Amino acid sequence: MFKGMPKIFWIGMCVMYGWCFFFMFLEMTIPGFPLKPLFGVPACYIYNWIFGLWIINIIVSFLYFYMEEKREAAQENK
Amino acid sequence: MGVNPIVIIGSLIYFAILFWIGWSSRKASTDASEFYVAGRKVGPFVNGSALAATYFSPASFLGLPAFIFILGYPFWWALVGIIGGMPIATLLTAAPLRKYAPTSFTDYYADRYETKWMRLIAGIPTIIGGFAYVILSIVGTALFMLAILKVNFTVSVILAAIVVFAYIFYGGMVATTFSTAFQGITMTVAAVVAAGYVIANYGGLNGLTDAVLANSPNFFNLPYVNETPSHKLMSMWTGVVGFFFTWHFGFSALPYTVVRFFTTQDIKAARRSVFWAVIVGGAMYGGLIIIGTGARVLIETMHPLMQTEGVTSAIGLLKHMKTAFGVAGASVTDYSMIAAVEALKSPFLLAILAAGGLAIAMATAAGWTMVLNVLLGRDLLGKVFGSQWPEEKPIQCTRVMTVVVVFVSMLLAFKPPALVLDISGAAFIVILCSCGPPLVLGIWWTGATKAAAATNILVMTFLSCFSWMYANTVHKSAHFFFLDKSIVTPHQFYWVFVGFIFFILLSLVTPKCSDETIQKYSLDLRPDA
Repeated sequence: MFKGMPKIFWIGMCVMYGWCFFFMFLEMTIPGFPLKPLFGVPACYIYNWIFGLWIINIIVSFLYFYMEEKREAAQENK
Repeated sequence: MGVNPIVIIGSLIYFAILFWIGWSSRKASTDASEFYVAGRKVGPFVNGSALAATYFSPASFLGLPAFIFILGYPFWWALVGIIGGMPIATLLTAAPLRKYAPTSFTDYYADRYETKWMRLIAGIPTIIGGFAYVILSIVGTALFMLAILKVNFTVSVILAAIVVFAYIFYGGMVATTFSTAFQGITMTVAAVVAAGYVIANYGGLNGLTDAVLANSPNFFNLPYVNETPSHKLMSMWTGVVGFFFTWHFGFSALPYTVVRFFTTQDIKAARRSVFWAVIVGGAMYGGLIIIGTGARVLIETMHPLMQTEGVTSAIGLLKHMKTAFGVAGASVTDYSMIAAVEALKSPFLLAILAAGGLAIAMATAAGWTMVLNVLLGRDLLGKVFGSQWPEEKPIQCTRVMTVVVVFVSMLLAFKPPALVLDISGAAFIVILCSCGPPLVLGIWWTGATKAAAATNILVMTFLSCFSWMYANTVHKSAHFFFLDKSIVTPHQFYWVFVGFIFFILLSLVTPKCSDETIQKYSLDLRPDA
C-alpha cells in the first residue's frame, strides 16, 4: 500500500498534522493558552491564524511540487 | 436599510467582467473535449485559482464565519483542517489522476474496477452530494441578492437560479475555468479587504480580541481547561477534531475538485495548481476567520437594525431579518457574515463582499452542475445505457441537464433543509466515506477489489445518510453521535475512517482485479512508473 509514494509526502503530513495536533493538545491542557501573548498579540493568531492556516500549508504544498520536479529532473538527467 | 446604488454598481461590474470572459472564450467550447475538460490546456495559476473558487463555496464564505459566530474560537481549527487538506491532494490524487487523464469523475471507477456499472454506483453518492451543493450555492447566491437588492428571499432564490442557470448554460468547462479563476481572485480580495476593515475598526488584533471578549467572554474557551466551553459542541475534543476532519480530505477526493485536475496542461501544472489554490484559499480563509470572530460584536454594537424595537442581540437581529425578508429554514444564520459587514456601514466594502459572495456561489454551482451534467448525460445516459446523444451533441445534452439540475435545486432552495455549512458537511461525509476509499486506495493499493468498491460505496452511502438524518431528527443536531447524544461527532465524521477500514477488510477477502487493470490504473499512475 502506498508503494512509490514520495517520501516528501509523509514528511509534509507529519509537519502539518504535528503542528495542528500539538497546538490543539496545548490548548486543551493549558488554561488560557490561545490568549497568551506572543509577539505582542494573542498566541492563537500566530500559531493558528498565520502559521497553521497558511504558512505551513504553503510550505508543504511548495515542497510537494518542488521536490517532485527536482526528482523528475534528476531522473531525466540519468 | 435600503438598496445602495454603490452596492448595485459593484455587482454589475462583477457581472460585466464575468460576461466578457464568457463571451471571449465562447468559441473555445465547441467540441466534447473542449467542453468537458477545457482541452487540457489550463495553466497552474489559472487552474489553482479556479480550484479554490470551485472548492470554496457559500458554505465557506457564509457558513464558516457563521459557525465561528456560533461556536467560537475552537472552530478556527475546522478552517485550518480544510486548508491543511489541500496540499495532501498534490501527490495523493492530483498527479496520478492527471497522468490517467480521464474526462469524468466516474471514469476511474469504471476502468479501475472493470465494470461500467461502477459509474452508476459511484454516481449515487455523487448525485446526493451534488444536488446538496447546487442547492446551497443557490441559497448562497440568493442571500447575496437579498443583501444587494433587499428583496424577499423567495424572489432572491428565483433570481439566483436564473443567474446560475444563465452562467452555466452559455459555457462549458472552458468558460467556467477562466471565469472561475477570476472569481477566485474576487472572493479572496473581498474576504481580505473585509477582514482589514474589521481589524482596522478595532485598532488591531488586540483591540479586536478585547472587544470580542467583552462581548462574549467564553469565545476563546476550549474543552477541559475552561469551566464553560465556547459552545456545547465544543465541550469535547471530538468536537474540535471532528470539525477539523469533516472537510479535510475533500480536496483530494470530491468530484468537483478532482475534475479540475483533469483540465491542467500536464502533471507538473496539476501539482503546481494545488500550491496556488493554497495561497488563494488560505488568504481568503484568513479573512473569513477575522470576519467570523468579529461578527457578533460588530452586529451587536454597530449594526443599524440593532435600533429596531425588540432587537437586543445578534440572534434577535437575524430573527428580525428572517421575518422581514421571509428567509426560509435555518439560512438566516448564514446571513450573519453579511450582517457583520453591513455593520461597518461601508457601501464600497459591501459591494466588494457582494461581488465576492456571488463569485464563490456561482463558481461552486457551476462546478457541481458540470459534474452532475457529465455524470447524468455522458456517463449514465451514454456510457451505461448506451445513448449516443451525449457524445454527438455534448452541448445540447449538457444544457438540458443544466435545466433539470438547476430547476430541481431551485425548488429545494426555497426552504433549505439546514445551514449551508451543515448541507456541505453532510455532502462531504457521504461522498468521502463511500467514494473516497475506492479512489485513493484504487490508485495506491493493488489489493483494491471490485466487490469491495461497490459494497463500500453502497453501504457507506446508506450508513452516513441514515446516521446524519437520524441524529439531525432525533437529537436535533447532526453533530451528536447518532447512537448516543452525549458524544459530539460533527457530521458523523468517523464514517470516513470507518469507510477506509471497511474497504480494506472487504478487499482482503474478495477476488482482485486483473493484472492488466492493476498495472494500467494503479501501478502506472504512480510517480516512478
